[in-house]
Amino acid sequence: MISRWIVGIAFFLHASPNYRYFKKFIYNLLENSNYPYKKFFDYTMMILIVISVYILVHHVKYEVKPDWLFFNNYVISVIFLIEYLLRLWVYSDNSKAIIEQYEHDLFLQRPFKILTVLHHIILTKTKFIFSPSAIIDLLAIMPFFHEMRLLRVFILFRVFKLFRYTKSLQQFVSILSSKKFEFLTLGMFAGVIITVSSVLIYVMEANNPASPINTLFEAVYWSVVTIFTVGYGDFVPVTSEGRTVAMVIIVAGIAVISFATSIVVSAFTEKLDEIKEDKLIDDVSKIDQFYLICGYTPLAAQVAHRFLKTGKQVVILESNHKKVTEAQKEGFLALTHNPASLHSYHTIRIDFETQVIAALLLEESDVLNVYTALTIREISKSVPLLSILLHHENRRKLALAGINEIVYTQELIGLMSKEVSGRPVAFEVIHALRSENSGVFIEEIVLDTLMANQFFETTRLTMFHKRLIVLGVYKQSSKSFFFNPSNSLLVEEGDVAIVVGTRSLIDEFKSLMRRKKRR
Amino acid sequence: MNYQSAIVFGFNEYAKQIALQIAPEYPSFSVFVMNESEQIAAKAAGFEAALFDLGEDWKLIEEKFDPNSLIIFCALDKDAENVFLTISLRSIFENLPIIALASDHESAAKMKSAGANKVMATQQITANIITEMLEKPTVTEVLHDILYEQSFLKIAQITVPENCFLVGKHLHEIDWGEEFDILVLAIVDHQLSATFSFTSKGHHHHIDPDDVLVVVGYEDSIEALSEAMGVVK
Repeated sequence: MISRWIVGIAFFLHASPNYRYFKKFIYNLLENSNYPYKKFFDYTMMILIVISVYILVHHVKYEVKPDWLFFNNYVISVIFLIEYLLRLWVYSDNSKAIIEQYEHDLFLQRPFKILTVLHHIILTKTKFIFSPSAIIDLLAIMPFFHEMRLLRVFILFRVFKLFRYTKSLQQFVSILSSKKFEFLTLGMFAGVIITVSSVLIYVMEANNPASPINTLFEAVYWSVVTIFTVGYGDFVPVTSEGRTVAMVIIVAGIAVISFATSIVVSAFTEKLDEIKEDKLIDDVSKIDQFYLICGYTPLAAQVAHRFLKTGKQVVILESNHKKVTEAQKEGFLALTHNPASLHSYHTIRIDFETQVIAALLLEESDVLNVYTALTIREISKSVPLLSILLHHENRRKLALAGINEIVYTQELIGLMSKEVSGRPVAFEVIHALRSENSGVFIEEIVLDTLMANQFFETTRLTMFHKRLIVLGVYKQSSKSFFFNPSNSLLVEEGDVAIVVGTRSLIDEFKSLMRRKKRR
Repeated sequence: MNYQSAIVFGFNEYAKQIALQIAPEYPSFSVFVMNESEQIAAKAAGFEAALFDLGEDWKLIEEKFDPNSLIIFCALDKDAENVFLTISLRSIFENLPIIALASDHESAAKMKSAGANKVMATQQITANIITEMLEKPTVTEVLHDILYEQSFLKIAQITVPENCFLVGKHLHEIDWGEEFDILVLAIVDHQLSATFSFTSKGHHHHIDPDDVLVVVGYEDSIEALSEAMGVVK
C-alpha cells in the first residue's frame, strides 16, 4: 500500500512541469555557474557571511545589539539551513530513482522493493552529506545553537563557505588538490622528522633543569616551530646534544619548506594555461554579442582589427596554439579550440542564437571552411555564416554547406583592377570611403518612424545641405535603391538611407532626425 | 588616359581574374609568366602567355608595345618577386603606370617605394569588404552595383575642360543634385594638391581647368553634364 502510494507520488512529481521547473531553478541557482542569476545569490550569501563573521569578531570585546545577535544567530543560520536542505534536495532525483526501480522490477515481473530504492536514495544523499563542502555548510549552521558558547567558534566555518561562492577560491583548492600525492609525501616526511626530533629533544633536554623544554608537548612545539623555520626562541635547547639535534632539524626544515614551495609553484605552473583558458571562456560567456572568427590568419587579424575599431567584439577560435598566442599578443580574445569540432563549442558554451552576430570562416582552405560551416550548422541553422572562397570551382560546395555570404577576393581584385585602370580617382575615392581612414564615411542609417518622417526636412537644414551627401534611399518594400531622392519619395520605417559625410556630421544628422520630432 | 595595351604578370588566381576582367578593355593584351605550368594554365583560360624571368632587360616590351599607352599589372605569387619586378620595370620605364598586388600593408609600402603607381593590398581590401558586408550590407550592395554591375547608376570622373562654364565657380555654388541629378563625391584640385579631397570635408574648392570631379549619377545625367561641360570624348 505504502509502496503504491510512494510510486504514485514519484510519478506525479516526475510528470509535474511546475515541480521540475522549480527544482531546475533551484539547481541552477545553487549549482550551475553558467546560470546568469546565480551570481546574485552568491553575492547575497557572501554578504551574509561577512556580516556574520564581523558580528562574531566584534562581539569578542564589545556589546552587540540584541537585534543583530538575533539576526546572526537565527536569521542567517536559518537561511544557511534552508540552503543546506535545498542542496541536499537537488543533489539527486528521488522520484526518478523510485520510477527507475519500479519499472525495473515491473520488467522483471517481481514485486517493487521499496527498501532497495530507499537504501539507494539514502546512500546517494549520504554521499552529499559527507562531501567536504556539505560538512562545512553543516558546521556553518551550528552557531544556531548560540547558547553553547564553544560552538560559536563554528561560525568561522562560514568563512570556508566562501569557497562555494568564489570561483577563484575553488580553483585554488582544485589546483592544490591536484598535488595530493606530493603533499601526502611531504606530510609524511615532515611528520617523521617532527616525531623523531621531538622525541630526541625531549630525551636530551627534559631532565636538564636549565632547559625550558620539560614536557613532550613542548618538545613537539619546539620541533614544529624549528622545522618550519619560524624559530620564536621561547623554547631553546641548552645541552650540546640538544643543540646538535637542533642543527639537524634546521637543515631538514629548509628541505621541508623548499619541497612545499616547489609543490605549490609547480601545481600553479602546470595549471596556468588551464586557468587562463577558463578565464577566457568565462569572458566569452559574458559578452552579449560578438563576431566569431574561425581560423586565425593574416586576413582574420585585419578583419578583427577593423571590427574592434568600430567597437564590435570579436572572438577567435584557432586550433594552433602558436597562432592563438600571436592573436592574444595582438590584443584579441582568442581561444585554443578547433573551430571545426562540435566539442569546442560545447566546451566554450557559445550561444549561437543570442551571442554570435555572424561566424566568419577565414581559413586559407575551402575544405576546412566547408567542414567548419557544417559543424556550426549542426548547432545553429540560423546564425549567419560568411566564408572566403579560395578556388572558384568550390563556390557551390560552400553554398551547399549553408554559408550565406561568400567572398571571392580574387574576383573582387579583378573587378577592381578594371576600375583602377579605367577610373583611378573614382576607385581611390571609393576605396578611401571603404577603408574609413580618410575621415569621411559612407554610412547606412536604418530609419525608424520618427526619422522617416523628418528625413527630408533634416537634409534641408543649412548644416547638412551640400555638406552631407545623401546618396540615396533603399526602399525595403520594393527592394530598390532611389538615388538622390526628392521630396516626392515616400520614406518609411525600415528604409535605409545611405549618406556620405564626416563622422560628426552623420551623428548630428541622426540625432536631429530624432530630436526634431520630439519637440 | 586611355591605354591601348595592358600586360598582366603572373597567372595565379588573382592574375587570372585580373586578366579576365581587363582583357576585353584593351586592344592589345598580354600575359607574362615565370614558369611553364602558369603558361599552361593561362592557355587553358584562353590567354597566350610569354615566359620571362626577373633578370629581363625588357627589350621585349619596348619592341612589342608603346610604353606611352601601356599599363602593367604585377600579380606574381610572392610579394618579394612583385617588388623586384616593379623596381626592374620602373628602372627602364620611368612613366609607365604600374599597378601591383601586395598581400599586406608592409609589402604595399615596399611596392610603393619600388615605384608602383597603385598598390592593391589584398588582405586589407578583403577585410574592408568583409566588415562592410556584415556591418553595412546595403552600402555594399549599392556600391557593388555602382562599381561593377550593369546598372544605370555609375561613378565617373570628369576632367574639367579649359572653357567649361564651371571654371571659376566654387563647388558649393552649384546645387548638383537639383540641377544635374548627380552628386559630387570628391574633387582633384590641381591648384591645391594632386590628390583628391572629399566634398563632404569642405566646399572651398575653386573649380579650375583640369580639375577632376568624381561624380555619381545615372548614365544619362553624367552624359548630360559632360556635354554641358564641353568634355570632348
